[in-house]
Amino acid sequence: MKCDDFKFEYTVAPNEIGVEASEHLASCGQCQLFAEQESVFEQQLKGVINRGVPDGLRHSLREHVYKVRFWNVPKASLALAASLLVAVGVVTINPTQNQLSALPVDQLVYEHFSHDGMSSTQASHQLNEQELIKVSKELGVRVTLAENISFAEKCPIGDSYGLHMVYQYQQQPVTVIYMPEITLDKTIPFHYAGLHGWVKPLKNGSIAVLGGSTIDIPDEEFADKAIEWL
Amino acid sequence: MQQKRKQLEYERLVLVYSDELFRYALWLCRDKSMAEDLLQETCMRAWKSLDKLRDTSSSKAWLMTILRNEHARQYARYRPDMVDLDLDMLSLRDTDNDTSADAFALKQALNELADEYKEPLLLQVIAGLSCEEIASVCNITKSATMTRLFRAKQKLRDVLRPDEAVVGE
Repeated sequence: MKCDDFKFEYTVAPNEIGVEASEHLASCGQCQLFAEQESVFEQQLKGVINRGVPDGLRHSLREHVYKVRFWNVPKASLALAASLLVAVGVVTINPTQNQLSALPVDQLVYEHFSHDGMSSTQASHQLNEQELIKVSKELGVRVTLAENISFAEKCPIGDSYGLHMVYQYQQQPVTVIYMPEITLDKTIPFHYAGLHGWVKPLKNGSIAVLGGSTIDIPDEEFADKAIEWL
Repeated sequence: MQQKRKQLEYERLVLVYSDELFRYALWLCRDKSMAEDLLQETCMRAWKSLDKLRDTSSSKAWLMTILRNEHARQYARYRPDMVDLDLDMLSLRDTDNDTSADAFALKQALNELADEYKEPLLLQVIAGLSCEEIASVCNITKSATMTRLFRAKQKLRDVLRPDEAVVGE
């Protein structure tokens, strides 16, 4: 491969270069220098293009769709649904873990973490304590470690919802996910995809506490202190 | 249950991609409120046609396509009196805004870049889409995408004159 061809391929998409270009890069000092400069340029570009995002954007997007959906339902159907509710009463369904998902719990937790993990540990996320009370109430709990929690959001996990929080433990962010609909028989250690921690059964559901492999994780007693039932 | 699955899938998409969608919308609209409106409409359309999304690995490109089409549709219907906002205005709330001379020069150059070059670049930088995905979103061939990306970056890099910077270091 010629240097010019390499430079074209690398400039277009540094993450998508083929085998031939990779081999050329490994053996050509001039192109290695070019790649370093490109890397700096790509970083500058990202810094200029990627702007800040308004607080509460996700929440407003959820709310918008659900509000519009609600008002788009024919009003006769709403009236019928309301009458049925009054006539029949509220039926509570408590699905078991097997019904919810066939995925192992560590994979479920990791999948969720990979969706939300990066943004949740960013310092720009400032937690509003009222928001924490509101969101935890929706899941029937009260979080007792509010002052050390920098992020909390009700998030989908598997086929149900969980409360994703970031807890500042020894000045390091530790991820705590309360999963009210995922039950376990016993505490299981969590070592998955570069993360470590544990998942412990609770009176209702379970709680996962995890962090990067170099971060200290609180012991299991933490779970009993963290959540109170409403 | 089907409805609940749909709701969870929608929430998953919102959780994962809302920031990137907003950033792209902001570049398209150049106005924060308009970008938010565009994103809301995009999400509404995504919700309505979520059943059509067969391959979840392509959800990001799918959402970007919806956003781009929705922007084109809104822009065709309503062409506002465009104010040529300086890009610094867009980043007023951005606490980690780079204020260096290079960043300023890059912003100016990006502003002046023709849409056909800017769009693939934004999709790559903001959304991390591959050339193939960008081609599908922009409805152009992959080779055209690659050419446009190359030219866009070349123009922007020329602004920074990296050779001098390297010598300077």
